[in-house]
Amino acid sequence: MTGLVLTPRGAFEARVDLSGVLPSVEGDLAKLKIGYGAARAELGELFDVSGAADGRLTIESGGAQLDRVGAGLSSGEIVVKGDVGHQVGQRQSGGVIVVKGSAGDYAASELSGGKIAVAGDVGARLGAAGDGAKRGMSGGVVVIGGSAGARAGERLRGGVVLIEGDAAEGAGTSMIAGTLAVMGRLGRHAGRGMKRGTLFVSSPEELASGFADAGEHDLVMLRVLARRSHELAHLFGGRTRARRFAGDLTLGGKGEALILSR
Amino acid sequence: MILNGVEIRDSFAEAFPMVGTRLIITADTAKWAMIAAKTMTGFATSVIGCGCEAGVEREVPAEETPDGRPGVAVLIFAMDYNGLKGVVPNRIGQCVLTSPTSACYAGMEGGKPVSIGKALRYFGDGWQIAKNVDGRRIWRVPVMEGEFVCDHETGTVEGVGGGNILILATSRREALEAAEVAAEAMAKTPGCVLPFPGGIVRSGSKVGSRYKGMFASTNNAYCPTLRAQGPTALPPEVASVMEIVIDGVSEKAVSDCTRAGIEALVKLGRDKGVVAIDAGNYGGNLGPFHFKLREIMS
Repeated sequence: MTGLVLTPRGAFEARVDLSGVLPSVEGDLAKLKIGYGAARAELGELFDVSGAADGRLTIESGGAQLDRVGAGLSSGEIVVKGDVGHQVGQRQSGGVIVVKGSAGDYAASELSGGKIAVAGDVGARLGAAGDGAKRGMSGGVVVIGGSAGARAGERLRGGVVLIEGDAAEGAGTSMIAGTLAVMGRLGRHAGRGMKRGTLFVSSPEELASGFADAGEHDLVMLRVLARRSHELAHLFGGRTRARRFAGDLTLGGKGEALILSR
Repeated sequence: MILNGVEIRDSFAEAFPMVGTRLIITADTAKWAMIAAKTMTGFATSVIGCGCEAGVEREVPAEETPDGRPGVAVLIFAMDYNGLKGVVPNRIGQCVLTSPTSACYAGMEGGKPVSIGKALRYFGDGWQIAKNVDGRRIWRVPVMEGEFVCDHETGTVEGVGGGNILILATSRREALEAAEVAAEAMAKTPGCVLPFPGGIVRSGSKVGSRYKGMFASTNNAYCPTLRAQGPTALPPEVASVMEIVIDGVSEKAVSDCTRAGIEALVKLGRDKGVVAIDAGNYGGNLGPFHFKLREIMS
């Protein structure tokens, strides 16, 4: 069984809002009304719907116009064999979303549980607070195989975000808690306004000016996190020492940026 | 029942429900993990006088601990949940948090939670840091040596306290040697601790006393020097009695531990001075758990 399969009938002429299209949806999925530009359309008009519901939903070929893929997902798995648009996994509370291409802005926005894996790049404000919200992602795990746009982890409240590539300007801006790791290069002003939480970075050079060097330490915490998070174990690679930068001190923040020792 | 010359008396240990938890204490070295564990389970022989009963369950290899360092599992039991939730953070705070390089983790899940970092984080005076990963919260409390890391809370279990065996021997030396052998065998039972010094009690008690305010007093029927002054449970050849008390996470654990002890004593046999194995009880009316020695060995 491959579960439900959505295959685009052709090129999209407007942005497609796939919120509500979940593996757990009951009834005839093809009849489900979705947003299509400024109008509404039945899912079946835009996609060929096949297969049977078994907790798994596959979107063949994907597309950068597919917004809110897996928004509100609480269980099951969604696999997209291509790109997705904005707000993939918005307010997801459980389950898994796998995007084999890239994703747009606000990926994992306000995620509270589950996991999102994007093989390619993501746009701006990964895991950030959405429109009108004060807090970003609060739990769960996000792994980005490529690079992230500006302000990844802005107002992050919890969970683990791992960016295997680069992060553009303002990563971790106003972070409240949680863990944001950037394995590649870091854009300017990282951690600006950070209150609490942990940034894992490879260099202190692009940290906001309010970060101060607290020295290198052997942190037991790294050993624990490596055993409780497969993703962080991958990042740490057995390293237990890190140089700690505290910040953002200009705002009285008690966050930290850790640079793993070689 | 006589096994290898040792009489297994038709008696039973009378035990009580207790609420317990397991903690995993780690440190940079096995030596310091054990020091922290022994310290935090010290003065925890009898719940009547100490507020809890506790002991080292086992050494935990580094590859099995939450932080990959050498560890020790300890079990702590109290009469009820309220008692346990008071003593656990207090003992961790005074004996583990203070012990060099230590960390403290939940050793069981389920049951009503008991605070670890939830209570101890305040030592950090606002500098403490919580990390939530994989649905579990750990605390990092800055200390002069570095950071004290601990889980937010630990689970609890409805356990059994007060399992016991009495070793009746021909001399004090033989009683102690036999008790040491039994305690060593019993300590290997998963889910059990022997809370008294070295696992052995030389001063088993009976309920009550002639003195007002004393809840327990010497078990005179088993005191060899009182043989001529009242009812005695000791045959003429017995000159010394040692007791081993067992607290466990389940009835089965205590039963297994009891059997391990009796088997070790029977293996020593009458030739090593072990005359009989008995058990302490209160007539069967106080404790709901009865560990009948002959049934355990049948």
